[in-house]
Amino acid sequence: MPTITIFKQDLEGLLVGPGEMSQPITIEQLEESLMLVKGELKGQNLDTGELRIELQDSNRPDLWCCEGIARQIRVKRQGSLPKYDFLTIKSQSPKRLNVAPGMETVRPYVAACAATGYVVTQEGLAQLIQTQEKLAEMFGRKRRTVSIGIYRLAAIEFPVTYDLVRPDDVSFTPLGMDTVMTLGEMLLVHPKGLEFGGILAGHDRLPFLCDAKRQALSFPPIINSREAGEVRVGDDALFVEVTGTDLSMVVLTLNIFATNLADRGAAIEPIEVRYPYKTSLGMSVMTPQDLLRSQKLPVRTIEQALGQTLGAQEVAKALMAYGYDVAVKGKQIAVTLPFYRQDLMHAMDVVEDVAISRGYGEFLPVMPSQFTVGGLSRIEEVSDRVRALMVGMGFQEIISNILSSPQSLRDAMRLGATEWGKLVEVDNVMSQNFSALRQWMLPSLLRVEAASNRAFYPHRTFEAGEVARYDLTQPQGSRTVMVLGGMIAHADAHFSEAHSCLDTLFYYVNHTYSLEPIQHPSFLAGRVGSIVSRGKQVGVIGELHPEVLERWQIGVPAVAFELDLTELAE
Amino acid sequence: MDISSLIDSLHPLEVKVLSTFGGDRSAILQTEQLVQSTGLEPSQLSMAVEWLLAKSLLAVDTETATPIVSLTKLGELYFEKYSPIERVLSVARDAGKTGKRLTIQDVQSREGLEPTEVSGAIGKLKKEGALLIIQGGCIESTGRPSQTAEAMRGLLQQLHGAPRELRAFSESQRQIIQDHAVKRGNAREPFRIDDRVTRALKLSESGVEATQQLSRQKALEEVSQLTPELLKDGNWKTKRFRKYTISLRAPRIAPGKRHPYREFLDTVKTKLVSMGFQEMRGSLVETEFWNMDALFMPQFHPARDIHDVYFVKEPAHASSIEEPFLSQVAQAHRNGGETGSTGWNYPFDAERARRLVLRSQGTAVSAHTLATQPAVPGKYFSIARCFRYDQVDATHATDFFQVEGIVLGEDINFRTLLGLLNLFAREVAQAKEVKFLPAYFPFTEPSVELHVRHPKLGWMELGGAGLFRSEVTLPLGVTVPVIAWGLGLDRMAMVALGIHDIRELFTDNLDLIRSTKGAF
Repeated sequence: MPTITIFKQDLEGLLVGPGEMSQPITIEQLEESLMLVKGELKGQNLDTGELRIELQDSNRPDLWCCEGIARQIRVKRQGSLPKYDFLTIKSQSPKRLNVAPGMETVRPYVAACAATGYVVTQEGLAQLIQTQEKLAEMFGRKRRTVSIGIYRLAAIEFPVTYDLVRPDDVSFTPLGMDTVMTLGEMLLVHPKGLEFGGILAGHDRLPFLCDAKRQALSFPPIINSREAGEVRVGDDALFVEVTGTDLSMVVLTLNIFATNLADRGAAIEPIEVRYPYKTSLGMSVMTPQDLLRSQKLPVRTIEQALGQTLGAQEVAKALMAYGYDVAVKGKQIAVTLPFYRQDLMHAMDVVEDVAISRGYGEFLPVMPSQFTVGGLSRIEEVSDRVRALMVGMGFQEIISNILSSPQSLRDAMRLGATEWGKLVEVDNVMSQNFSALRQWMLPSLLRVEAASNRAFYPHRTFEAGEVARYDLTQPQGSRTVMVLGGMIAHADAHFSEAHSCLDTLFYYVNHTYSLEPIQHPSFLAGRVGSIVSRGKQVGVIGELHPEVLERWQIGVPAVAFELDLTELAE
Repeated sequence: MDISSLIDSLHPLEVKVLSTFGGDRSAILQTEQLVQSTGLEPSQLSMAVEWLLAKSLLAVDTETATPIVSLTKLGELYFEKYSPIERVLSVARDAGKTGKRLTIQDVQSREGLEPTEVSGAIGKLKKEGALLIIQGGCIESTGRPSQTAEAMRGLLQQLHGAPRELRAFSESQRQIIQDHAVKRGNAREPFRIDDRVTRALKLSESGVEATQQLSRQKALEEVSQLTPELLKDGNWKTKRFRKYTISLRAPRIAPGKRHPYREFLDTVKTKLVSMGFQEMRGSLVETEFWNMDALFMPQFHPARDIHDVYFVKEPAHASSIEEPFLSQVAQAHRNGGETGSTGWNYPFDAERARRLVLRSQGTAVSAHTLATQPAVPGKYFSIARCFRYDQVDATHATDFFQVEGIVLGEDINFRTLLGLLNLFAREVAQAKEVKFLPAYFPFTEPSVELHVRHPKLGWMELGGAGLFRSEVTLPLGVTVPVIAWGLGLDRMAMVALGIHDIRELFTDNLDLIRSTKGAF
């Protein structure tokens, strides 16, 4: 979800056509209108008119800019999308961009257009750069699938070539540097080369964009030339290109830029891209281009999904006012997305747009009417029962993080290389404190005990909750088990206190058990037992080993037990 | 208050005073007599007498005020070092013997006396004819005695450490005492006259009754504890139980108690069950398949990034994914399969699907439920622990509870979705006003954000919901429409618990946990 910065005045200007008188928009009106774009106003600066807006829809990159937001609102106000003539004009001798052979294995696709007659303003330039960054970052997956370059048109002689060159073959001065360097040097030295160079890893020839005089435009997707690729306020002729690995995403991205510039008053001149290999759009591709994402669907489908009878005309009206092209044929409706969108995967995508266009407030909520029986899972019932018993025996319940550290879960418990010490650990560790799932409950209780030596004694604490047990017999390599842990700590804490509580629990959950002496490093030898019920080991009880208490810096004796509730529930 | 409860409330001092009267309604006792017979300190006695008078158990028969003379601090000083009048007369006589001339200033400086003391003494001596003031402001002894100077010595000696009644002195002594007693405006005097009030006290009618009851009780032995033996042999009837001061602060105990956050979640759980929801449970460790693929999040989705999800170290991959779900979901991603969708058009990576992660969203639990032939109509919920790769701070926890679920039914559509959210708003947040905003979730279409006006918090986002995409439901074998919903309750929980830092939900501070009241 990108968050973008726009300027209120710029937005107001874009809500009407270029050169028309703009109307001020109030913050309330803006917030209402932002529902059309799934946007939320996150902040505003009244002095500068700066607005921070978060856009939720990750499939609508056309909305991640001031122009796109304004367009969606304007279309709703005007009832339909105006025609953009650059999609239909046919030029006898269009400007050309030639793609070099071999590019299909490196970065196969490119789209480009020229934009003239719009004098770049401060705000317009800021939006252009922001849109370029957001689209390349979030839609273009950090430039991997899509990256964008914008240039001063005046300096460029056509045809432009999207060439493949060896790293040392060509050199130019990149943006942000003062010296001429080769493409290879840019990958090694330039910050953008270091950041995005990985995209080109493994290729011995690199993409290079240049004009008819072999003047460097850029090294896609890394960096533009400083000479041709630094757009300034006051420029009135631009060249925009998009390169990438997915043709429809590349064309869509160019369509968005072309529409944005057209909305600011520029005349868009399409450019013909000639490939030496086949693409899904042929070997000669005019860009921008309407990819005509369309679908036929019964009006009934939309009405059923919305739970409301609207009729074909109402549906058509709502979709037109959201930018669609619509044709009604009886009970069928044929819809085509505006050319700056591609997010039509399923009929339900159309349904949502009908609802948004009409406004969610237009739909009267209806309670689901069918009867269902509520209830808890068996394990939750068992857990609730033992929790109530623990409370009755005077224990204070606690809740802990399930993510903990191997130090707490294993090392401080003296479990070293034992079976008890096996953990489900995190691969991409952010903090050691949160790098393993707890495999048992006692460290959670000890965590509280260690922090509470000022709380008056006795301490009786418990937690019922989930732990993850490493278990290679399971498909996921571990089992999630619900366990109960109980602990008693005070100057005279004694094994028999914990034993009495355990005994009481078993009585009231109506199971029998026995204790069998075992060796367990966390407990004092001879004061620890395995809890066995119905022939299975279901837990452990004992007096905590002084070394464990020492490791946790606990100054009183503690006795504890842990019980596997998942076993009890069966 | 009746007599017996009045008796129960009596202080031991009061009982002692009352008993002195022996139940005799005609007995009239002076306070001095009471001091003697009770053996109490006068201050204790007067306290007890005041209490009894206030309770109308005693009455005042007569009250007499006796003037008592005592020495002030200054008087005690005069007793030791002689009074100004004695000292002035003495130096004047010494000067007369040696023939020295003595000015008033000489007297003042030699004796270290205040000018007012000297002038007062000289005035008195002159009046009584014991001194003369001669030319040059000198004083001279006449050799005649001063009545006051002589009487003063006697009085100081008699009263030193022993106050006496004023009437014990002769007329002339009384005159001197009164002349030299502290009065308003003149505190520097050797004598003080106070009225000692002597009361003659008698029992009131209720006092008589109380004394009689007391004397009956006297026969009973006082014990501090009722014992099983006393109950068994019936001897409790012959005992009196010591009264406790029940207004003292109670000793603190630590009760057994649910954790306040868990209590909050229990309430939510109960509400959901009462609305007809069945609980689902899942696994802490999930495959990417169930956590994301099954929810139609493409494998290149930004939220699947290494910076958003915790990956499991070992084993890194699940041994297998259940069929036919794996194939059907993979197909939906590639080209939509049978779902009526275009799909995401990318090569689905089955290896990636087996990658193990820590469950990052409760919707993973719902995905499993969809794949296990859920009831139709059906309502399900889970309160699932989830993990996010986030820096921990006041608003971000690394593991947290997600409350979420699904509703399946032939009657499910956009309007019933809004109806369900209305129900949540009312039942869970006690909110009457709601707003529905368009939202985006990868697995629902249409998607809604539920905003409510909470009675305490004002407008807040309560949850998100939507209709599961066909790309989610059909590959898992569900053909009816399904609502997916989730509630964000942590903010409400924090308000209920009175905390401002999300980390405190899982605090290790036992004192804090014990003392948090919790509320919902």
